[in-house]
Amino acid sequence: MARKIVLCRCEDVTLGDLEHCVARGYRDIEEVKRYTGFGTGPCQGKECLAAVALQLARQTGAAPSKIAPFTSRPPLSPTPLRLLAADPAAHRFPDDPDDTDDTDGDALDAAAAAPEER
Amino acid sequence: MTRRLPLAAPLRGLPTEVSVAGATVRGFTGESVAAAALASGARVLSRSLKYHRPRGLFCLEGHCGGCLVRVDGVPNLRACQVTCAPGLKVEAQNAFPSAEVDLLGAVDFVFARGMDHHGLMTGSAVLNQLASRVVRQLSGLGKLPGAVATATPPVAEHRVDVAVIGGGPAGLAAAEATARAGASTVLLDDQLRLGGSLRAEPSAGPAAAARAEEAAAAAGALLLPRTGAIAYFPEDAGGVLLAASDERAARVHARHWIWATGGYAQNLAVPNNDRPGVVALRAVGRLLADHGILAGERICAIVDPAVRRHAQATVDALRAAGAEVSVLDVSEVDTVRGRSGVTGVDLVDGRQLDCDLVAMAALPAPATEGPRQQGCAVVLDPAAGGFRLVTDDAGRTSAPTVWGCGDVCGYRGPREAAADGARVGAQVARALAAEAT
Repeated sequence: MARKIVLCRCEDVTLGDLEHCVARGYRDIEEVKRYTGFGTGPCQGKECLAAVALQLARQTGAAPSKIAPFTSRPPLSPTPLRLLAADPAAHRFPDDPDDTDDTDGDALDAAAAAPEER
Repeated sequence: MTRRLPLAAPLRGLPTEVSVAGATVRGFTGESVAAAALASGARVLSRSLKYHRPRGLFCLEGHCGGCLVRVDGVPNLRACQVTCAPGLKVEAQNAFPSAEVDLLGAVDFVFARGMDHHGLMTGSAVLNQLASRVVRQLSGLGKLPGAVATATPPVAEHRVDVAVIGGGPAGLAAAEATARAGASTVLLDDQLRLGGSLRAEPSAGPAAAARAEEAAAAAGALLLPRTGAIAYFPEDAGGVLLAASDERAARVHARHWIWATGGYAQNLAVPNNDRPGVVALRAVGRLLADHGILAGERICAIVDPAVRRHAQATVDALRAAGAEVSVLDVSEVDTVRGRSGVTGVDLVDGRQLDCDLVAMAALPAPATEGPRQQGCAVVLDPAAGGFRLVTDDAGRTSAPTVWGCGDVCGYRGPREAAADGARVGAQVARALAAEAT
C-alpha cells in the first residue's frame, strides 16, 4: 500500500507531489497551486493552504514571512446559485453598456419555465 | 467502536431515522448526518477525487471536503452541516458501486507512488485524446441535482454599525461589547450551532457557548447562525458582504467589520493521514462535549507539541468517558495503518499500536479568506498555524474600519479568544463614538 502523506484531501495532492513540484522549479504558491491543483477543491484551501505554504517554506528555505497566500476568491464556501438568482445585483453588469437591468427577473422566469435539455 | 453517552436532551434533539447509503441510521434532529453516521459505525462517507481513496468526516465544522454526499437528490452537501430529519436520503457520490466498495479505488494501487498528470499519456496525440475522454468521465464532483431549483428567495439586507463575522468565543464577546455600547450589530456564523471552538471544549464548553450566545443576544446583537460570509465586494455600494444560509442570501453593509472567524482544524503530515477514522481532535472533542458521542474506544492522539497543553484537556475527557488514549508526538509516528478505517499507528521505534480512531491535534489555520478579500494584510507565521491576520494592539487590521480578534490573529484558545473579542469590541465601540462627535 502506498505511503501517501496527503496535504490536500480535496484534490489528492501529496507531500510527494509538492516535492516533485519544487524540484521542477515551481516555488511560488500560485505556481504550485496551478501545477498540483492544491486548494482548488471544495474546501478552497481551508485545509491545505497553510500546510502547503509551511511545507514550501521548509523545502525552499524561504522565510515564511516572504510567502504570500494565493488569491481569495468568492464564494468562501459552497453556495447554491439559486440563492443569488433573485438578487438584482446578480443580473447587473456595470461594464456592459448594452446591459438592461433585469431586476424583475424575467429572463430567469423564462429560463425556469423552459429548462434546457441536459 | 463508537458509542453514545448520556446527554442533556436539549443538546440532542428528538430521535429520528435517516437513510445513509441504503442503510437505516438512527440519529437525533439536532445533530448532523455525519455525526449520526459515525455514531452508527459508518466511517466511509465518500471517495477522494483522484485516487478514490475512502474518506470520512474530519473537521465536523463544514470546512474540509471529506464528507461530501448527495442528500435528497442535491449533490455536494457537507454531511456535517446537514441535520438529521425523518426520511432524509443520503447517498455516496463519486464511487462505484458504493463508497465502501469502490472499484475505482484500484487507481490508488496502480499509482501507488503518485500520479504526475502533466506527463501522463502525453506520448501520443491519439492516446492523449482517449485518456482525456476517460478522465472527463471519471472526474467531477457528484452528479447534477435531480430537479431544477425553482425557489429563488429574495435577498435579505442588513445595514448596521458593526458586522461581526464568526460566532465563536471571540465573535460573540465582540458582538456583545458593540451591541451593549449601543451600536447596531449583526453577527454571522456558518456553523449548525453558535459557540465555535467552545463547543469542542470538554464538559463546560457547550454551556459556556450558550451563555455567550445569550449575553450577545441580550445586549441587542442580531445573531444569524448557519449563515456564512461568502464574498466581499469592495466596488459595490461602498463595500458589501454577501452571506448565505441554506435558505437565503443576505447583503450586509456595515461601518465597521470585525473578523472573528477563528481557525480551521488541520491535519498532520504523516503517511495515510487521510484514512476514515483520522479525525481532528477538536472534532472528537466536539462529538464528546456537544453530541455525547465517544468516537472511539482505543484512540491514538497524534499531537503537534505546540498544542499539547490544550489537547490534554480533551484527552482527559476522553479517558474519563472510558476511552483508552495513547498520546503520541507527531515526530514519533511512522504511519497510520488501515484502509477503509484506521486499525492502528506504527511508530518509528518499531512499536505497533492498535486503535479504532486517530485524533489529530494540530494548530488550527487562521481563517483569513474573508479579510483577505477586504484587503487586510496577513503573514505566514508557523507559530500561528498559517496565515494570521495582522492587527495592532487595538485589533485594527491594515484596512480601515476592519478589525480582527481571536484565533484568526493566531491560535490562543477559547478563553483568551473571548477576552480578545471583548477588548476589540470595546475598541470598535470607541471608534464609532469618536466618529459620531
